[in-house]
Amino acid sequence: MPMHLPDASLSHVSPYYNPFHQQDYLAAYLDHYTRSPSSLIPYSIPPLVDLSQHPNLRFPAMESLSREELERFQKLSNEYEPDVQGPLVSAKRSTHAISVEYANADPTLAAKTSALVVTHPFSRIMKGDGNCGWRAVAFGYFESLFTLRDPLRVQQETTRIKSLSRLLDQVGQQEHLYEIFVEATEGVMMQILNSIQKRVADEAFLVEAFNDEYNSNAIITHFRLLTSAWMKLNPIRYQSFLAAPLEQYCASRIETVKTEIDEVGLQALVDGVISSSGVAVEILYLDRSEGNAVTPHMLSANPVNIATIRLLYRPGHYDLLYRADPSMSIAPIVNYQYGMTSQYIPWEQAALSFDANPHLMAIPNLTADPFFLGSAPMTPAAVPAPYLPSTRNVFYPSTQPPQSQPRPQSQSPTEPQTQPETQPQTQGQGQPQPQPPPSTMTSPSISPTQTHPLTPLPSKCSDGPQIRLNPLVMKPNLSHSLPVTTPFKNSPYNQAHFLNHDFEPIHWEPSESRK
Amino acid sequence: MDYMMEDAQNAAPEAHETAKLGASTQRSDKQSVTKRLQSELMQLMLSPSPGISAFPNADGNLLSWTATISGPSETPYENLTFKLSFAFPNNYPYSPPSVLFKTPIYHPNVDFAGRICLDILKDKWSAVYNVQSVLLSLQSLLGEPNNASPLNGQAAELWDNNPQEFRRLVLARHRSVDDDE
Repeated sequence: MPMHLPDASLSHVSPYYNPFHQQDYLAAYLDHYTRSPSSLIPYSIPPLVDLSQHPNLRFPAMESLSREELERFQKLSNEYEPDVQGPLVSAKRSTHAISVEYANADPTLAAKTSALVVTHPFSRIMKGDGNCGWRAVAFGYFESLFTLRDPLRVQQETTRIKSLSRLLDQVGQQEHLYEIFVEATEGVMMQILNSIQKRVADEAFLVEAFNDEYNSNAIITHFRLLTSAWMKLNPIRYQSFLAAPLEQYCASRIETVKTEIDEVGLQALVDGVISSSGVAVEILYLDRSEGNAVTPHMLSANPVNIATIRLLYRPGHYDLLYRADPSMSIAPIVNYQYGMTSQYIPWEQAALSFDANPHLMAIPNLTADPFFLGSAPMTPAAVPAPYLPSTRNVFYPSTQPPQSQPRPQSQSPTEPQTQPETQPQTQGQGQPQPQPPPSTMTSPSISPTQTHPLTPLPSKCSDGPQIRLNPLVMKPNLSHSLPVTTPFKNSPYNQAHFLNHDFEPIHWEPSESRK
Repeated sequence: MDYMMEDAQNAAPEAHETAKLGASTQRSDKQSVTKRLQSELMQLMLSPSPGISAFPNADGNLLSWTATISGPSETPYENLTFKLSFAFPNNYPYSPPSVLFKTPIYHPNVDFAGRICLDILKDKWSAVYNVQSVLLSLQSLLGEPNNASPLNGQAAELWDNNPQEFRRLVLARHRSVDDDE
């Protein structure tokens, strides 16, 4: 051997001036104090420079510090160990522990964490080693599959995840390198399948599998590589959110072994790996924003989800949260918006941006007219009517006398067959034109003759929706014209409400172009 | 029979099981590292890249390798060969190998002890990087030093301002390692 080469991990004194590494140390040290404990330095960088031997080192930011301070910093930096204790994935525990942590913190955090104990009584803590977000999603995904206890689904998922290897091939990953990661994922899938078939009571085996660091790393690496490949194959969706070119971002943030996941990476992980399983991912932000509850954000765009992974996000760190009863999807919260109430009328009113009589609004062709009939701009006379409005005008007064009650216009005349009950009336009048069927709702106040002698109502039949104006049926129109909104569902389980436990904010998919 | 099964299941000696598991886990980790390195070696032998080679050391320890790269043409390192050592950690590939230049080299990003400043060997390490990709990266580092964060400040300066002197120092520093072994 020509020269003695000290092992990098053991060397503590270097005769060489080494500014680059010096900065690394400082960064590591500062990180420790300025960021949250979970924003971690990936490696303990070997101490290559001993400051005590280099009193003349010049660092602009450090010049004001005394040599003692520098030495102390160096010592702290050298001895820096990320604050990572505990298992990679903890057992499920009471969320109360989290609220205790914040009991004396900012009142907002205290309030939010106490509310969290009620809404999400259980949590699982991830080790903050730089992989917590990846690990939380991966663990949550496998746990969801186990909790569903559907062997067929596990097999399908195994096949699906393995088939994603084609993405890796497409971006040029070498099979001989990635196969061990795929095998690790497959191994956990097999464990889940066996455990379901043996009716294993709890997910302890999964926690154990994830606490085997080598195995855990392999699974996380697999998910990282799939995410990276997905991003590279769908660059349009992600590039605009990235400061760096996508390839560079993937190399430095996604494919690395211990880089914390960020929002873009998390979205890509959900899009590329998790979403197709039907498992949703929801982030609950614990921050000091206004409000008494954590801010939820649904990442999955699936209309129906088989399960939801709930991530508690505290700056730089992710943990898992569990609701009290998965089957309980109605929050014990009074919902003043539409869609969450069992009362029929109020939501109609609330759904409309203008104040309308819900009884009237329930009737087709009358959409907004009771209020606007007198106003010229609103009369749809300018809209060409496909049939003669005058016919209708004659028609209506003539039909009313035989009936004991005023009958509102309801269905489109072009669809007369849907309501066979109208037949007797038609016969009685001998009108060639099909008669509108009776409405399901009767309202004495909206007979066209009573409201106005003008002709707008029939013509509205042709251009307005031929259906009751309610948010549910407005859905298709909305989704085509306004990409930023997703239709609301008239359901007590409406996820669109911000207080709903499964709240899913409506977000625009960059991949969906405006139609 | 059923009762016996039940007993065996209920009386789980947890501590014992965990210890056993820990040992078997470690063994399987070692197997996984070995498997991975064997696969890399296979790949290197089946599809060798020009100008690089690597092989495990003769001591039978698959965790330490010796590699060579030849200096790229049209760089100051043209026609020179460099020897490197690879030391793989027990959790390879989830931590990068320690890579050192054994051949003395004058380069902005390599110090006089042979330590290399290359992000992919530190925090940008990825589990899909491997001996081959590291060697290829180092080979390109020879022709394209990162002068923004030099380990050898003089070399960085000369690279930019005085190529002749740089080349002279490269040749002056270079020595064949084999002569001494």
